[in-house]
Amino acid sequence: MLFVFGVDPMDLTIEQLAKMIDHTVLKPDTKKSKIKQLCDEALLYNFGAVCINPVHVEYAAELLKDSSVKVCCVVGFPLGATLSEVKAFEAKKAVELGAHEIDMVMNVGAHRDNDYELVQSDMEAVVRASGDAEVKVILETGLMRDDEMIKACEIAVDAGVDFVKTSTGFGPMGATPHDVRIMRETVGPDIGVKAAGGIRNFKDAWKLIEAGANRLGTSAGVGIVEDFRWQQYSDAWMQPDKHCWDCPSRLANLNTQPKDVYLWYKQRCVTCEYRHENIFND
Amino acid sequence: MSNYYTDALILRVSLNDKTTRTEQIPRDIYEQYLGGRGLGVKILYDELAPKTDPLSPDNKLIFAVGPVTATKVPTGGRYAVITKSPLTGTIFDSSSGGYWGAELRRAGFIAIIFEGRAESPVYLWINDGTIEIRDASKVWGRDVYETTDYLLNETDDKAQVACIGPAGEKQVLMSGIMTDKHRAAGRGGVGAVMGSKNVKAVVVRGTQKVLSADDEKLTEVVKRARLLIKKNAVTDKSLPVYGTPVLVNVINEFGMLPTHNFQLGTFNDAGGVSGEKLLERLAVKQYNCFGCPIGCGRISKAYGEEVGGPEYETIWALGPQCGINDLEWIAMANHRCNLMGIDTISVGSTIGCAMELVERGLLDAPIRFGSTENVLDLIDDIAHLRGLGKDLAEGSKRLAAKYGAPDLAMQVKGLEIPAYDPRGVQGHALGYATSNRGGCHLRSYLIGPEIMGVPVRVDRDSVRGKPELVILYQDLSAAMDSMAVCRFTNFAWSVDDYAALTAASTGLQLDGRSFLEIGARIYNLERLFNNREGLTKEDDFLPPRFSKPLPEGNSRNRIVELEPMLSEYYRLRGWDDQGRPTSERLESLSIDTS
Repeated sequence: MLFVFGVDPMDLTIEQLAKMIDHTVLKPDTKKSKIKQLCDEALLYNFGAVCINPVHVEYAAELLKDSSVKVCCVVGFPLGATLSEVKAFEAKKAVELGAHEIDMVMNVGAHRDNDYELVQSDMEAVVRASGDAEVKVILETGLMRDDEMIKACEIAVDAGVDFVKTSTGFGPMGATPHDVRIMRETVGPDIGVKAAGGIRNFKDAWKLIEAGANRLGTSAGVGIVEDFRWQQYSDAWMQPDKHCWDCPSRLANLNTQPKDVYLWYKQRCVTCEYRHENIFND
Repeated sequence: MSNYYTDALILRVSLNDKTTRTEQIPRDIYEQYLGGRGLGVKILYDELAPKTDPLSPDNKLIFAVGPVTATKVPTGGRYAVITKSPLTGTIFDSSSGGYWGAELRRAGFIAIIFEGRAESPVYLWINDGTIEIRDASKVWGRDVYETTDYLLNETDDKAQVACIGPAGEKQVLMSGIMTDKHRAAGRGGVGAVMGSKNVKAVVVRGTQKVLSADDEKLTEVVKRARLLIKKNAVTDKSLPVYGTPVLVNVINEFGMLPTHNFQLGTFNDAGGVSGEKLLERLAVKQYNCFGCPIGCGRISKAYGEEVGGPEYETIWALGPQCGINDLEWIAMANHRCNLMGIDTISVGSTIGCAMELVERGLLDAPIRFGSTENVLDLIDDIAHLRGLGKDLAEGSKRLAAKYGAPDLAMQVKGLEIPAYDPRGVQGHALGYATSNRGGCHLRSYLIGPEIMGVPVRVDRDSVRGKPELVILYQDLSAAMDSMAVCRFTNFAWSVDDYAALTAASTGLQLDGRSFLEIGARIYNLERLFNNREGLTKEDDFLPPRFSKPLPEGNSRNRIVELEPMLSEYYRLRGWDDQGRPTSERLESLSIDTS
């Protein structure tokens, strides 16, 4: 057995993995039948929650009543650029309709303006409006440098949120172990870290968990849990990957990121200790 | 009502005296080899004398289906043909989807064993329990489409026909067996073996209900299996929308689309022969095999005519391998191969080999890379053993050797390597080298993890862990071929799912480990067969071209690092350093060679 990431993969059971997953559908074209399927699958696999848009909360709550599967609703999604009052209203309504968890998108623009007061009050407004529901703050890490991400985590802790979350899945970058590790180190053990965006298979999931995530937002939950069964038949799946595969610097994209953020990421490639591996495009 | 073990029968056809008899599958073989490929391999190993000439009456030709065939298990309509290959000299199984396999099972049979040689052309007509060996002289010489239509008219239009075309009759070493007119058990010259026995076709009509051991349990497991197919992007989107040609752009992007006989890994006009372009230009409709919710098959229109396919491998073989970028022509060339009953992979690869011989001045022939001129005629000539076609009909290994350049044949054990340049995928390369039937992508399809990231992405350039994965996939594939289901389910199902489906169908106590052990048993027995035929470690090779780097594309500068993987592979297999299964390993698998 390899201990590639410092933890024995066999320690993680399929049931534990499933309970860490927020089974997610957030696309604008989502039909009611898709929500039904999502909830059915969440019940079948006993996922942690379903993560959906506000318009589907009432229906999902009805389908999932009397189960341990939670309803998680996104707020201010996916840009986070609406008014705090609107986010708070959205959160309050979602909770009234049956949401147990609120995933809000932070005000990223204000954060880049160093208007930390506004960033924190924005989060606090949602925390207040959510009552007993857990609140997760989506940072959209692909729009930030590491120092900005650390600051955002510190503000989130001060605002009283329950989780910090990497990405919306609609932004420039998904979850990476690098970002999750920094977020976990910043918020400590008492605040949750949710990795979301681009988690396609059990190895992606496993690496993020090893980095410190205790919740995973993904639309590939069924595949991840099912494919996890392959793990018992070979250690070879868990061979270390090329360093660049998971590195946010490698994933940076000038078309989707602010220029200063993009260049900051790419500058790291130049000084990276693994730069000799950065030859081919895969 | 027909239960696989207790009711269904093996039909033995003695062509020498035109007699038939039936027998039951022995319990120990059923438990240890299931059916399909495993059953055929076991029968052939036990019954075929070493060094038998594959095209002699002494060779056996076995058709077999598995315990999930014609049940509610998705894709459970496949059949396998098992024989000693005239192309490779190895044990060989070639399988196909379509509807014929399910029909055979519904007729109450799990296998047909052809022995000897008929004095004159015949076909076998199975109408549920009734069996007739009939005269086939009226269809001898006819193409696959004509033969199918004629025999359906002569028997029952609801029947299913498996037949050979002119290529099989002429014992062309790359001829296949066709069902549904355009589905092929194509590889390894199984059609030539059928032709050598003077058997033109097997026509089947079956109406029996097929029973499973635990129908309630099977319903539950199948429901889950269908959900997984629905949840997988490959089986729910890519394959249904584009069919296998979706791979053209994918593999080209990785610099592994063999071009000009594997001299290059990128084809400039890949977009023009892609699955996306096929959908835009030629697609008529989707085609589903029996019980298949995926539907990767295509019906296309070429020059005003509806034709089957083309599949990814065919597009590659008749396209980039020969430098040809005309998709409509490729569809028609594929159709020509189907009419003749000939393997498109081996035909295209061998023509590409001939084109390189021409390019290098070693062969004087009116064909060249990038030109369709004379190629359709050449395909006909191959099928009819005419002119240059006679040389090509023996495959690239013999062709290249005849013209003094054996290294130009892109083959392993005589079987042409399919559409993935191994320099870009170390694990898949090891799979080619160690395949028991020669250059085959389906024994261990590591393109899944190495390229498509299914179930997880592994580093395609690394050799670490690859022997272990190759063995896992080889064993799983052998067991899958014996239950028997389509390889594409592999994108959605894990080992445990196959075991659960087989257990519910058979009542056998199976879990993932014991299911893989069945696969390992089959794989080792095939290896023993090949060793007995004289194959050695030297046959686990790759053409020297793959020890030189590709000059361009996204797999440039890579070579196959075979040797370290091969040693590790043998060790993990429990074989000695010459690639022979050890007695300890055979004992652990309950393989009795006495």
